[in-house]
Amino acid sequence: MTAAKQRTTPAVDVGRGLRLHRFQTPGGLPVTVAQRGRIPLVAVRLVLASGAAGDPAGKDGLADFTMRLLRRGTAHRDAHALDEAIEFVGASLGLFAGEDQVAVALTTPAEHLPAMLEVLSELVRVPSFPEEEVRTERERSLGQFANDVDDPSLLADRALLRTAWAGHPYGHDVSGTRASVSSFGREDARRFHATHFGPRPAQLFVVGAVDPDAVGRQIESAFGPWAGGPDHGVEVPPPAGVARSGTVVVVDRPEQTQSQVRLTGPAYRRGAPVQFAAQVVNVTLGAGFTSRLVREVRVKRGLSYGVGSSFDTLRAGGLFSISSFTKVETTGQLLSVIRQETERMRERGPTQAEVEKAQRYLAGLFPLRTETNESLAAVLADMALYGLGDDWLDRYRDRVRAVTRAETRDAAARYCYPEAPLTVVVGPAERLRPQLERFGPVEILSADDVL
Amino acid sequence: MSPRRKTDLLFPVHEAQLSNGLRVRMVPDHDAPVVSLYTFFQVGSRNERPGITGISHLFEHMMFNGAAKYGPKEFDEVLESNGGRSNAYTTHDVTVYYEDFAADALDTVLDLESDRMRSLTIDDRSLRSEREVVKEERRLRVDNEPAGLMDEALHALVYQAHPYRWPVIGWMADIEAIRRQDCEAYFRTFYAPNNATLWVAGDFDPARLLGRIRKAYGDIRKGPPAPAIVDAEPGQRGERRAELRHPSRAPSLVIAYRGPKVTDPDTLTLDVLQFILGVGEGSRLQRALVYGKRLAVNVGVDWSWRRDPGVFAFHLELQPDADPRAAEDALYAELRRVAEQGVEPREVEKARNNLRAHLLREFTSNSGRAHGLGSYELFLGSWKHGLGLPEAYGRIDAAMVQAAARRWLDASQRSVVTLIPEEARS
Repeated sequence: MTAAKQRTTPAVDVGRGLRLHRFQTPGGLPVTVAQRGRIPLVAVRLVLASGAAGDPAGKDGLADFTMRLLRRGTAHRDAHALDEAIEFVGASLGLFAGEDQVAVALTTPAEHLPAMLEVLSELVRVPSFPEEEVRTERERSLGQFANDVDDPSLLADRALLRTAWAGHPYGHDVSGTRASVSSFGREDARRFHATHFGPRPAQLFVVGAVDPDAVGRQIESAFGPWAGGPDHGVEVPPPAGVARSGTVVVVDRPEQTQSQVRLTGPAYRRGAPVQFAAQVVNVTLGAGFTSRLVREVRVKRGLSYGVGSSFDTLRAGGLFSISSFTKVETTGQLLSVIRQETERMRERGPTQAEVEKAQRYLAGLFPLRTETNESLAAVLADMALYGLGDDWLDRYRDRVRAVTRAETRDAAARYCYPEAPLTVVVGPAERLRPQLERFGPVEILSADDVL
Repeated sequence: MSPRRKTDLLFPVHEAQLSNGLRVRMVPDHDAPVVSLYTFFQVGSRNERPGITGISHLFEHMMFNGAAKYGPKEFDEVLESNGGRSNAYTTHDVTVYYEDFAADALDTVLDLESDRMRSLTIDDRSLRSEREVVKEERRLRVDNEPAGLMDEALHALVYQAHPYRWPVIGWMADIEAIRRQDCEAYFRTFYAPNNATLWVAGDFDPARLLGRIRKAYGDIRKGPPAPAIVDAEPGQRGERRAELRHPSRAPSLVIAYRGPKVTDPDTLTLDVLQFILGVGEGSRLQRALVYGKRLAVNVGVDWSWRRDPGVFAFHLELQPDADPRAAEDALYAELRRVAEQGVEPREVEKARNNLRAHLLREFTSNSGRAHGLGSYELFLGSWKHGLGLPEAYGRIDAAMVQAAARRWLDASQRSVVTLIPEEARS
């Protein structure tokens, strides 16, 4: 009864009035409880340090598929009983796969937390992967691919990822492809679960208006028997840059009147010290409504409704990408403007005034990133998974404010495409080709090539 | 100013009204040094007329193009430089502007917002540029997006006379035709303080804040009352159908029934019915159409509150080889089951639990509190009705759900749009 309480270490003060209570279950599951707020809704997040990068050869999408099957049956309950248990009380459950992690996110009215911890424990410890449910989920996934053909933005993102990181464990969409998903059977999901699940590579986070000691006892009771698992997540080698830099890949969608446009180049791995300077560059070039790209593309020329840049960073590497769209006729013009702006940023970096503005923007909005219990749970999980340090929340704003203009110039020179970026365009290939040839060799794919 | 507290409520709401008619609502919370400010204007595409459809939405873009004190594009420049972000949205019924920002930028944000309410600049140059941006937005959300095309076809089918007939973003030729003079008239009528409500939530002292709001907005002149909307929609005398051919790989369906307006007593009962039918993996339609008959990949039920009579709609993304007629029949069989056999009391209780959880979730952030309470005030007449929703849902029972299903899910009041895949033509 008091085992968990005995394990409770003194709370760690991580700044901003937030205290983290940490302990391990006897089976070895690391637990973090953060007590805060008054609204009686509690966020629970369980993460495991292996994701889609651990999909076996020929089985792209297996991590994601396995996650979705967790709620379709366990040793004790069938899918309907699980849905009822969760949904009757007004709780909600999300099952996610990323490249580096899989996560179960649960939000529940506080009074049902003990029961929901039992459900969560069941899902991750003893899923049963019923044959019939595996078949239904596979058909549903394949049906989803057919519907995805109609989403040009999604086609662009898929084409970008699989081209940029071709041959690397990150080089496929987490949902896999029609070919890989067609091959999924019960045994695949069962094996993925047996290989990657267990308390050792997992961490559990609970955030909300809770009593940490009481939650400790409830977790103890729910997860007590869970033991084992691999010592760490799948090892992913750093990607060797971006494949096919300088190429323009076109996904042919003849009927479209608008092109989706993406550019990408290599960036840093998650948590690298350069991140603060890089974020200042990103804000200046392409985040928010007053970035250089928004000004040049949307305000001055009315070329698009939206344009943005982002660093997408993972455990082993990252990408710096720009995303926009425009009517087919102005696709070449849009790309010219974007290339011109990245070049200008690469050569001179942000001005001192832009650095200061980006610092105020990032620092001012930072508290919003952890405003809800769900978002704080997700940030705490990232801090743990990516080794960001316990002082991440407390020091973030100081670190952003400490960035110098010289650092941002270095970051801009490194990440704003010193080598020509990989470009992806989704739209009518015949009409686009003449506009695109000046940006690099054009390769044409069909939607089927990327699904 | 009257602070109000309710037992089930975890935060106070302070109310005031300025002499120019501007309504002010303040929800202080000191957990984090941030504030959200929402401005609700009671105007949307329902206030438009043919020829200038989409003006509400285009005008929303124009609000960022400068006023007397802060020039073109300075709004976001100043806001972002002070650690804030902004956005806006337009619906059939309402136009909403919002900012999230560091608490110490509150005075600056009031200055920015009141400047554009007082003295917006509307010039031809920015209108030309925004027009192009909006056309790209339309290409994104409608012309190259089957769900957008279907939604547009559905509204044109359900409504013959009411302004809900046209899309919020407007017809392409109308977006092209809107003139500066249209925008000016629009601003005078619908953006006056007496047509607006300010909701502020976050880290501030309400008494001091009200003083600052009076100073910033107090001198803005009251506008004329907004013209009344004539709802000339005739009754529907039988099912209506439309087909949409598109180079998709899989068919889809949108099926809608004419529903009541938000203030109708059946609105909340339909909320419960929506949850029983379509919200959650264990909902009736998910079980029947996705997992049982495996006809659909995704099923959604959309019952969006509207100020005038709205639609209770079903969205079905089908399996590539599914027959849309078979999917329709399977849906109708489920709806008949509700009308004829009713629902279980446990299903009603489940829906209530989920509606309460939704409400709590909405109230976990400053932005959610300002937006949620502002919307409830606009649609239900008072934000207090929003806070009383859990009790109101508690009064709904299985018999009421069955009666509402019988009344509103009547085949003669149905409109059906089918997306039929066909070969691409370039």
